[in-house]
Amino acid sequence: MNEIIISILRSGTPLIYVTLAGVIAQRAGVWNLGLEGLMIIGACATILGIMLTKSVGAAILIAILACVLASVLLWFVIDRLKANPIIAGLGLTGLGIGGTALAIQSIFGSQATVTAPFGIPKLGPAFGSYGVLSVAVAAMPFVVFAMWVLLRRTRFGLRLAACGEHPFAARSVGANPSRMRLAALSIGGVLCAIGGAELAAGSLQFFAQGMTAGRGFMAFAAVIFGAAHPVGATFAALFFAIVGAIGIRAQLTFGDRIPHDLLQALPYLATVFGVWLSGKLRGGAKAASSFAELRDQ
Amino acid sequence: MKDSLITVVRSLIFVIFALILCALVFQLAGYNAPVLLWAVLDGAFLRSGAIEQSLRWALPLFITAVGVGISFRAGFFNIGAQGQFYVGAICAAFAAEAVKGGPAFLVIPTLLLAGMLGGALWALWPGLLRLRSGTDEVITTLMGNFMAGLLLVYVTSGPLKDPSGSGQQASSRPLDPAYRISDSLGLSPTIIVIAVVVGILMWLLVNRTAFGVLASLAGRNGTMVEWQGARLWKLGLSSFLVSGALAGLAGTIEFMGPNGRIASGFLPAHGFTAILIALVANLSVLGTAVAAVFFGGLASAALYLPIMAGLPSAAIDIINAAIALFITARSTFIDRVLRLGGRKT
Amino acid sequence: MSNSSKSALECRNVTVKFGDVTALSEVSASFAPGQIHAVVGQNGAGKTTFARVAAGLVQPTSGAVNVMGQDIRTGQVSESRAAGVELVHQSFAMPPSFTVAETMEFGATGKGGVFSRRGLIEKWRAHLAGLDVQVDLNRRIRDLPIETQQGIEIARALVTDARVLILDEPTAVLSPAGIDMLFARVRRLKERGVTVILILHKIREVLGIADTVTVLRGGRKVEGPLPVAEVSGERLANLIVGEAVAKTLDRQDRDALVGTKAPAHEDADQQAHASGPAILSMKAISTKPDSGGIALDGVDLEIRPGEIVGIAGVEGNGQKTLVRAISALADLEGGTIDLSGHDVTRQPLAMRRKIGLRIIPFERNVEGLSLTSSLWQNWSARELLQGSLLKGIRPAAIREACDRSLKAWSVHYNNSGQRAGSLSGGNAQKVILAREIDPDAKLIIAAQPTRGLDIGATAFVWQALRQARDRGAAILLISSDLDELFDISDRVVVMLSGRLNGEFHAPFDIGLVGAAMTGAAAGASA
Repeated sequence: MNEIIISILRSGTPLIYVTLAGVIAQRAGVWNLGLEGLMIIGACATILGIMLTKSVGAAILIAILACVLASVLLWFVIDRLKANPIIAGLGLTGLGIGGTALAIQSIFGSQATVTAPFGIPKLGPAFGSYGVLSVAVAAMPFVVFAMWVLLRRTRFGLRLAACGEHPFAARSVGANPSRMRLAALSIGGVLCAIGGAELAAGSLQFFAQGMTAGRGFMAFAAVIFGAAHPVGATFAALFFAIVGAIGIRAQLTFGDRIPHDLLQALPYLATVFGVWLSGKLRGGAKAASSFAELRDQ
Repeated sequence: MKDSLITVVRSLIFVIFALILCALVFQLAGYNAPVLLWAVLDGAFLRSGAIEQSLRWALPLFITAVGVGISFRAGFFNIGAQGQFYVGAICAAFAAEAVKGGPAFLVIPTLLLAGMLGGALWALWPGLLRLRSGTDEVITTLMGNFMAGLLLVYVTSGPLKDPSGSGQQASSRPLDPAYRISDSLGLSPTIIVIAVVVGILMWLLVNRTAFGVLASLAGRNGTMVEWQGARLWKLGLSSFLVSGALAGLAGTIEFMGPNGRIASGFLPAHGFTAILIALVANLSVLGTAVAAVFFGGLASAALYLPIMAGLPSAAIDIINAAIALFITARSTFIDRVLRLGGRKT
Repeated sequence: MSNSSKSALECRNVTVKFGDVTALSEVSASFAPGQIHAVVGQNGAGKTTFARVAAGLVQPTSGAVNVMGQDIRTGQVSESRAAGVELVHQSFAMPPSFTVAETMEFGATGKGGVFSRRGLIEKWRAHLAGLDVQVDLNRRIRDLPIETQQGIEIARALVTDARVLILDEPTAVLSPAGIDMLFARVRRLKERGVTVILILHKIREVLGIADTVTVLRGGRKVEGPLPVAEVSGERLANLIVGEAVAKTLDRQDRDALVGTKAPAHEDADQQAHASGPAILSMKAISTKPDSGGIALDGVDLEIRPGEIVGIAGVEGNGQKTLVRAISALADLEGGTIDLSGHDVTRQPLAMRRKIGLRIIPFERNVEGLSLTSSLWQNWSARELLQGSLLKGIRPAAIREACDRSLKAWSVHYNNSGQRAGSLSGGNAQKVILAREIDPDAKLIIAAQPTRGLDIGATAFVWQALRQARDRGAAILLISSDLDELFDISDRVVVMLSGRLNGEFHAPFDIGLVGAAMTGAAAGASA
């Protein structure tokens, strides 16, 4: 049982950090499909940072800097140049995946994976069998709580939500929706950096090209599934992690009798189901994304 | 007319923006940006045989991109071209097993049709979810891409597995050469004819039918056409199905033409590139043809770079991504410069 | 500026340009503290822009704003709020999903910190009670009736120590009784020393509440602030309308347009119009709650050829659902709808349109037109939907027909390929009229057809509806402007909470209709 929980926490923690990044962007009115790219930038920067500075703290700072810079670029394109957030987000994702691959190739030649000498510190034997988990896992519940407070229990959170829901109302009390979106995306950049760091240096100690493998998109789905509520989205992300763990379990138990490629599709299927369900529960809420360039409003 | 000219100029400006960003990334990653960009241009259009190679990539991309344009026009953010492309190819591959041994003039159309059906099927469920329950199509089609990718892994390593294949990448049994529509270079009269027919039909659909006008109105403002008595789901679902069928057709062409088989994870950037092409072309059918040649060139350069110039093919992904980042940008400043005064009556 | 120290709010030479459009031109006005000031003008006169400049929401192209003797930085909401200027918007600016307590808090200034849900309610309960807003602070804005929303928005504006409160067209959405309540509230604010600037467009209301009046027309100030005691309604009417337009208007229409007096419709010969069997006959129509508003509950309505039936009521009492039910867009729970003698209860809108239903919808820019689409596409949508989707079209031919039609409706435009969004409100509405009012039109639903239009365009729309009526069409007019309803309707039906609450014939009595709108005298019938 402990093993299953550990594997859920291992796969779930990076997802949750990135999901929180998506939540704060969503509340400010930005559909952030750049999460995947930000996460991989965070992962790559962490590993390269550890190799370069021999310090996890410095490495994570470098990752945060890289992700915040990338987030600011996304903000600039979406907010200043009025680009479509979905296409621009996908573009940022492509830049992240391609850029990290290019960086690895230019530094290490044809190597597909880069291994760091050490990773994020572990909790240690004091935590029994959970000691193999990194401190980022233990910090996660506190970060979720802090995000909940920030978004749901402060005036900043209210104004941020107003910027997403009714920008004019936000403007008429003196908030600047553009700056609020910048703040939201920057905070999201920090969270993505931590998520990426945990992915690459939490239980693992290497970076591989394309190693996020759609986790950023899954985080985005968790945001929608959880109705952009920090706690709801966290549970959605956890749910995806559980489904993934069950898939791996089933594969170990049933072996080749169930094709494991199809089991891997379970989280994606769960996402579709979840998004459909959350739409149903909210009375068939209209799809919120739109190709705004071609729309009237 | 002036409006469309402005759109073209604006697209070009942002493509140049994107290339500057790329140059920056290349330089940061430790490459000589001008050399790399020149190698891309050389690989895409300048070296001998480059145009043929670019067209080989451009034609299937054009077919998918026209379909993407149809669904974007109708207001649906169907970003599932990649999945529809895969499922189309998978269905054609299964159909090829089923009708093995038949006369080519029957089998080839059957396979093309099967591919279109497959692609349409993979667009059908997100379409239904969107139009019946309001489930956002961005997420469903995105998830559909991942699921189709896994489905492809499954069929190429399971039911359609080529036992003689080498371990690296699972692939299906090769298609009987009698049913191939091109050699491995991938440019044949059949493929050209298919692309031209698709282009003409879709141009007519968009510009010369009631559907074209109404779908465009619905895409810009669904509420308005609803108040005019349109059934949005009919317009919407047909747009989904057409775009899915065309992506499926492109997948089938890749299967029956240059590839001759399907392999797990083949052409992973096809759908995304097609979306870019549609956007660069501002969704016009003619523009799509032009943009497809450009991006086809980039795709062929991706193969050329590592072999001929010793440069990483990820450079092409980065160029595509940077264009994506900027292509939908609308700078009021640039518009003002381009327009030199607006109009209001 | 020697006298600026005496003003609560002063604008000097304020000019606002949006692109090539000049919304305000060299407007200077100074408002004395502690009074109620009215700013009036027709739609498009620049009233809202003026209010937004004062509130810091719009950056003027040139000019200065001075509050209590201090020039403030223009175009900065925080600056205006710090100086004590607050604005209540016409269509309230509150996120619909927020609770009342959250709405108060998000607009507050000063120390924030982390709050608890209960703490927030405690914090704002007294504030709301002090302003006579009775509401559960846990309710969400979107679930509240419009009068309560207005009270909350005013309370929201007063979370700071506002010294100047500007209300943008606060009466447009209210019933006569609601207007009285609002005015009582405004007078209490005046007693507390707040300077109130009311943006209005009915002279009757100006004379009833304001101490001074300022008139805007075409983005310029034409007069004011004048003490209300010194101006007659007649003079104000002419100032608002302008001499040139005033000459072209029927006296009764002009009075209705500017709301000079308590409206009473005395044109007896209009009652002779209706004839023949009903074109629309709704029997016991009930619906599910609809995206457009509350459910209908047993609505019976008949409209005969050649009559204009007006629907009065406070917004949100089911008018939208009524229109959507007739248009087959709302889900019915019971009842039948006959159109031109056909039972269309289960027929889709396309079918209903085929037998003569035409709709000028509520939201011109959302339901009526696609602003980013060309004029000819917008114009042709109705006809294109009559045929098969795959029917071939010749855009050139459609554009020619469109040109002919738009010319006949005297739409001012450059070419039929231009975006609908590039037209002014009045011209845009004419495009809709050109599409919806054709010889085959049997029942025309006109939902708020003149909202946001200036006086010339409003008169044009009234004319068009009257002509269609005289040709024998049946017309259902939904409006929140009683002057409009009384001026052009043959009879008026009041909607309240999804039901019809009384039917009235000319001469209309605003007292009785107003009472029916709030349910004060349920079932009142004249």
